[in-house]
Amino acid sequence: MASRRAAIKAIDWAAFAERVPANQKAMFNALKTRSDALSARLAALPEKPPAIDWAHYKAAVAKAGMVDEFQKKFSALKIPEPVDTQTAKIDAQEKEAAKTTAEYVQASKARIAEYEQQLQKLRSMIPFEQMTFEDLHEVFPETRLDKEKYPYWPHKPIADL
Amino acid sequence: VLHATRPLHTTQQCLAPLPPLPEKGGEVRHGLIPEEFFQFLYPKTGVTGPYMLGTGLLLYLLSKEIYVINHETVAAACILTVLIYGIKKYGPAVGEFADKLNEEKIGRALAVKNEAIKNLETAIEQEKKEQWRVEGRNYLFDAKRNNVAMLLEANYRERMLMVYNEVKKRLDYQVAMQNLKRQREQDHMIQWVEKNVIQSITPQQQKDSITKCILDLKALSKSAQAAV
Repeated sequence: MASRRAAIKAIDWAAFAERVPANQKAMFNALKTRSDALSARLAALPEKPPAIDWAHYKAAVAKAGMVDEFQKKFSALKIPEPVDTQTAKIDAQEKEAAKTTAEYVQASKARIAEYEQQLQKLRSMIPFEQMTFEDLHEVFPETRLDKEKYPYWPHKPIADL
Repeated sequence: VLHATRPLHTTQQCLAPLPPLPEKGGEVRHGLIPEEFFQFLYPKTGVTGPYMLGTGLLLYLLSKEIYVINHETVAAACILTVLIYGIKKYGPAVGEFADKLNEEKIGRALAVKNEAIKNLETAIEQEKKEQWRVEGRNYLFDAKRNNVAMLLEANYRERMLMVYNEVKKRLDYQVAMQNLKRQREQDHMIQWVEKNVIQSITPQQQKDSITKCILDLKALSKSAQAAV
């Protein structure tokens, strides 16, 4: 019986719900309803079926060997446990998720570093009143006028003025 | 404020960014003569020195006819009057307007910078939040495994229940069959006995029993009246 009792962990649905991003809420709700349905179904079933009162039947049924035969076959009967095919897949999924997560976190950290750098540059900028145009182009490179592409003044397409 | 000479090219170091320009230009007296001139002459000639110099110079120029008074002098006088009057009256307003334009430009630039900073900060916040979210993936897999376990358990219990129910149904059927048979036999026997008894009641017996019943009823009615 030990293999049957794959421990059913208590899940903190509230904390789980917090971590779900908005675009996956529908999937989360589906999972939750399925989970709840399953646990309701499980709770409705008794753990063991009630025992059959063999003595009563032996007294009641006239035919001689029938009850004994039934009793013998019943106690000899072994119900096969359902085979667990999915847990291995889930474990594999989990491993893969761990890997992709690590990658994502890496990328995220790189992005944060970039942002931090930009932020640092902006914060330590000299005030606009003391800047020359060269200084401005250093801090905001998009303001630099492309004198090679547009050699004539105003060095940018007229539509952009 | 007196203009100290701006410290450009005084040292070998390159002063970049340049120190900001002072707010106001050097002081002038009468709009023309810088204050430094008066300060320069003050030690030797005191306060009135430059004015004496100026008056004397003017008189010299006029008396020696080095500067000749003609039509142009009058024109110059009128033009200068108008100019000075205009500048004194509207100068500050124009200055303010120009300053406002400049400030707007700088304000726009500042707005751009602040917005950029804000966006970067929110972006960093978002990234951190996403990282936090991702940490919760364990919940998902626990939930899945739970689902699987619950499904298996429910299945097993259902099977056991089904077996029990089936066996019980069969045994109950047997018992019920027996009971039914016994009951049918009893009913049949009762009916047969009744039928036979009724058959055996002769007409004479019937008449006798009816007469007796009537007598009984009469006796009963007498006692019943008393009770009412």
